[in-house]
Amino acid sequence: MSTPLLEVTDLSVSFGSDNGQETVLNRVSFSISRGETVVLVGESGSGKSLSAMSIVRLLPHAARIDSGSILLNGQDLFKLSERQMRNVRGASVGMVFQEPQSSLNPVMTVGAQIAESVRRHQGIRGKRLTERVCELMDAVGINEPYEKSCQYPHEFSGGMKQRVMIAIALAANPELLIADEPTTALDVTIQAQVLELLKAVQAKQNMGMLFITHDLAVARQIADRIVVLKEGQVVETGTNEVFYKAPSHPYSKALFDAIPSWDKRLREGLAPSLDVRATLLTVEKLRVWFPVRSGLFEKKIPPNKAVDGVDLEIYEGETLALVGESGSGKTTLSKAVLQLLRPTGGSVHYADKDLCQIDSRRLRSIRSDLQIVFQDPYSSMNPRMLISDIIKEGMNAQNVGDSIKDRDDRAAHLMEQVGLEVGHLKRYPHEFSGGQRQRICIARALAVEPKVLICDEPTSALDVSVQAQILRLLRELQDNLGLTYLFVTHNIGVVAYMAHRVAVMYRGQIVENGNVQQVLQSPEHEYTRTLLHAVPRLDHNS
Amino acid sequence: MSSYLTRRILYAFPILIGVNFITFVLFFVVNSPDDMARVHLGNRYVTEDAISNWKSERGYDKPLFIALNSTGKKIFTETIFFDKTVRLFTFDFGQSDSGRDISYDISERMWPSLFISLPVLCLGLLFTLSLALLIAFFRGTYIDSSAVILCVSMMSISGLFYIIGGQYLLSKLLQIVPISGFDDGIASIKFLLLPILIGVIGGLGHGTRWYRTIFLEEIHRDYVRTARAKGLSEKGVLYQHVLRNALIPIVTGVVALLPSLFLGSLITEAFFGIPGLGSYTIDAIQSQDFAIVRAMVFLGSVLYILGLILTDVAYTLVDPRIRL
Amino acid sequence: MELVILKTDALFFILIASLLAYIFYASKKEHLARPWRSVLKKPMAASALTILAFYLTVAILDSIHFHPEIEGTSSDTPVYSSQVVSLLDEVLKPINKNTETTYSAPFAIYSYSKESQESDTGQIIRDYPRLRHAGSHLSNISEVRSDLIMRSLSALGYWIFAMAILCLILISLRVVKLKLIVADWLNLSTFFRPSPAQAAVITFAAVCLSVSLVATVGPYYHILGTDKVGNDVLFQGIKGIRTGLLIGTLTTLIMLPFAIVLGVAAGYFRGWVDDAIQYLYTTLSSIPGVLLIAAAALMLEVFMTNNAGDFESVTARADLRFLCLCLILGVTAWTGLCRYLRAETLKLKESNYIEASRAFGVLSWSTISQHVLPNLMHIVMISIVLDFSGLVLAEAALTYIDIGVDPSMESWGNMINGARLELAREPVVWWSLFTAFLFMFVLVLAANVFGDSVRDAFDPRIRELD
Repeated sequence: MSTPLLEVTDLSVSFGSDNGQETVLNRVSFSISRGETVVLVGESGSGKSLSAMSIVRLLPHAARIDSGSILLNGQDLFKLSERQMRNVRGASVGMVFQEPQSSLNPVMTVGAQIAESVRRHQGIRGKRLTERVCELMDAVGINEPYEKSCQYPHEFSGGMKQRVMIAIALAANPELLIADEPTTALDVTIQAQVLELLKAVQAKQNMGMLFITHDLAVARQIADRIVVLKEGQVVETGTNEVFYKAPSHPYSKALFDAIPSWDKRLREGLAPSLDVRATLLTVEKLRVWFPVRSGLFEKKIPPNKAVDGVDLEIYEGETLALVGESGSGKTTLSKAVLQLLRPTGGSVHYADKDLCQIDSRRLRSIRSDLQIVFQDPYSSMNPRMLISDIIKEGMNAQNVGDSIKDRDDRAAHLMEQVGLEVGHLKRYPHEFSGGQRQRICIARALAVEPKVLICDEPTSALDVSVQAQILRLLRELQDNLGLTYLFVTHNIGVVAYMAHRVAVMYRGQIVENGNVQQVLQSPEHEYTRTLLHAVPRLDHNS
Repeated sequence: MSSYLTRRILYAFPILIGVNFITFVLFFVVNSPDDMARVHLGNRYVTEDAISNWKSERGYDKPLFIALNSTGKKIFTETIFFDKTVRLFTFDFGQSDSGRDISYDISERMWPSLFISLPVLCLGLLFTLSLALLIAFFRGTYIDSSAVILCVSMMSISGLFYIIGGQYLLSKLLQIVPISGFDDGIASIKFLLLPILIGVIGGLGHGTRWYRTIFLEEIHRDYVRTARAKGLSEKGVLYQHVLRNALIPIVTGVVALLPSLFLGSLITEAFFGIPGLGSYTIDAIQSQDFAIVRAMVFLGSVLYILGLILTDVAYTLVDPRIRL
Repeated sequence: MELVILKTDALFFILIASLLAYIFYASKKEHLARPWRSVLKKPMAASALTILAFYLTVAILDSIHFHPEIEGTSSDTPVYSSQVVSLLDEVLKPINKNTETTYSAPFAIYSYSKESQESDTGQIIRDYPRLRHAGSHLSNISEVRSDLIMRSLSALGYWIFAMAILCLILISLRVVKLKLIVADWLNLSTFFRPSPAQAAVITFAAVCLSVSLVATVGPYYHILGTDKVGNDVLFQGIKGIRTGLLIGTLTTLIMLPFAIVLGVAAGYFRGWVDDAIQYLYTTLSSIPGVLLIAAAALMLEVFMTNNAGDFESVTARADLRFLCLCLILGVTAWTGLCRYLRAETLKLKESNYIEASRAFGVLSWSTISQHVLPNLMHIVMISIVLDFSGLVLAEAALTYIDIGVDPSMESWGNMINGARLELAREPVVWWSLFTAFLFMFVLVLAANVFGDSVRDAFDPRIRELD
């Protein structure tokens, strides 16, 4: 067997902090051969990004490599000087990062940024350089490469920016490509395209690829071998077929179990659909148009039609999933239903009243029936307020509860309901993890005894195992309290797991609407089909 | 762009009227034109006639803001406020309270101010940016921390001490340049050297620290990580990436100051006897010449608004993401 | 003695009370206590804070004014002089009462300029006369050095004694352990890497040593010389502390309500409220700052000239002028912070927890007080501390162009104003300038260092950079 391209042996990295050194990578070992794709899978804090950054020695200031070796083509990278390392970066190892928005220099043209890497490692200049840049852009699937190379990053979409990043990484024909969660920030349809591109490019250059992700389905699409990391340690490795058929380590099994899907739903005994009940909320021809900068002397630019004529019905006790990619308008729609945004037109009927028309005082009294849980657990709570005050805020505003003591009791009861300790009421948000914070947000929403709860991507920012717990909590609460959910998400697995009915949103309009089973198995609209086709599946390679 | 400019210029009018209103209120709420006349004439020569003469010469004999005796439009137009404000908008500054033509004085005196403030700005920028870049390159080392301490110390010294110290050291002890004064033509250079030198040194501490902060903010961004992953040297990263992005806040900050260069630094001109607009203003303040102060306030406001507009325009030139 | 409360004194004490209230409040709230603790963990900040505390003490002593009793009158009821004197004046009396006739150099026993004197032989010669008070206990100049050394040593002795007593008190109150003192504080190697407590203690000890030296040597010599009319320059420098400190703090006290109320209102309510406030601060900012201050000061001058009879004493008049200066500075200074607060409020409005608040139907006022204001306070904090030093420096510059404090009020600006011409004399009279420079530099440096630490602790972005 030939020597592997990359060999990581017993890599240990620690971080210095006020509390001393903390080990974040513990004797991690894996190897990558030429032409092979190894996927590093793990949740947040597992150390997967750190492993990648250790290879190119771009660790943060406070990190220290305690032991281990990294051999690239037999050469120990840790023994190289910084100067020699700079020759390795870009030339032997190319990197693609997660956030394409911030990873590109906003004041340099895209062509200049690609050219920089070419010039640095291949020494080409002038006309030949321009040709090479266009060559690279073409190879990553960017049309009209010459015109586009003179544009700036902000003029490109997320997927296109990631293609540019790949072009930069490939510029000097590296032998190893490291891709650190390159598709996590992209829509599922774009993600599928970028994964295709990466596979094609790797095959063409016969590069080794280290791909990092938290998504097992994505890993399935692209991996030759899988390495599972948990809290800085390798817990399992295996080939694609073997791993996905029968994972051996309990952690890996737990990861699989946590993935939301239709099968999981059936396993846990949730009914595939719900009998038709009373209509709770009716949305008719709702429009939310944002003017693009009004003012005297401005040219008339057509407004941004975020929500453009939406009709929806939500039945009592059900979970209606609202699915769409970024920019589809789903968050705007959910805020407009709650009248947190003033709709431009249309109506929202609840309890025989049109919420768009009633005066603010009556709206206030209805508000306790309609509540919302937001996506980002880290910015959903005032960092300077105690948890108990956060939960009681709604109660105070809506006069829930008879006295201060009563409200305190209710807050304590809510904490238990969402699975947290009552004693933690006197703490601040930053003392809790992401999943715990989301539980607090749910408790906050439940404090006013709502009937309808809008969940705006409540689990998108959470690890898959934590996500499973929160979803299960939401299901239990629905059973116990008879809640109705409008569940906004872009994750089809979650839809399959949670929802009774689903509405698909595209560019401000609902393009398909119906029972979950029916829509997911036999979609009618073109867009729904494209969307479902792009979702990476766990059962077979696409 | 042109619609933006039009909007901005139209918006300037209410601001300038407001500025004028405030200066009027400041001057006349506490003191009436009669009081001003008395102070100017010196309390000894006060007679009713002298006061009325003084007032009518300068156009202060009308009511302040509202002429209740008149009718229709004249209620507003037959007032001091209206009269003076309209004149200001046509840049007719009239005569100072001591009889000189203000516009002429301004056009003569703005050059000395410019001869100092412009070199101070350019040289100061050159030195502070270079120093800040150097410090950013050595960030985290002792050079960085000692430089910061030095900058903070320099910032803590009042500008007056730089001036007085500089005058003492270079003019009195070493006799290199004259202490103060001014001349025409090329001969003025020897009078300008010291103020410019002191202006640059006085601003070093604050400027270096400010730019250092901007550079350090940029160094921690994601695109710098990408640049390093390309294998660029630290120097290359600093020049190609950090500096170019840092230029956005730097250039727009500098451009905002440009119009105010005409007004000069009041303190510097006073200490060095430079006949610029700064000392013009101070003299007017000390001799309580309201006409000049009014004109300078108006001019200052116009220049400030010009600076705001130039800043927005500069943004479009420096940051490709912004288009007006 | 009859207590006199000047307007600025009253405001200053209100400020002190607010500061104490804030300290009490912050100690209860974790989100405030945490960053403050991290500020105090830095040795430089602890040291700077000690120096600031010393300046504050001096300013407080100088803000307690009264009419002193006239001794030796025959009436039964006490008669008070119309002079207004402060507690600090009383404390510094040994230094202050020894006025000479004209300039004299630091530690000199001879006057600066020659006078016509009668010599022993009866001829009229021009020579440097002996000073009236400084060194009057000595018979000739050769004794100066040994006298100074003796006095310095005794000062050192007093200091050691006082420090020892302090240690004993602290140990008996169980604040500090004896072992700790011997092991850490007396250990010379701690000088190079002191802990914050050590830094504060070292600074405190250094200040006490200076006080001790001043107290023992000051009554017998003019440590920093005398000025044109023979007043002790060191005394003037110390008196200038109150002016400098008050400018920084009172102006901020006046500026804060404007900046916070208008900035938050503009950012939160948008619409015409926003437009009106933006118009207001754009208009104010477009007037060149110095001109606005100058115009206002000019008008105050004219007003006071025309109404000269209204003021009961020179001190009251100077105090009013000082108060108005602070008012004017406050009114011109609020625009910067207001703009910043408006931008932050705009950003905060987008945050999820404020939207959740609206989903509960919480009223605007509650949202602002519970969610917006607490999350803005760090900006206010940083702004207060960083602007302070700028204001102290500004006073000197403004006084130079005659729109600062009244000449009868002791301030560093006035000292510099006078000192400027003194440099032209031969030999050079440098001590007034030096004194003003020294006191101002120490205060501004301490404020800047402390301000930097506060900003590092409170600015959430900077915390990410580490």
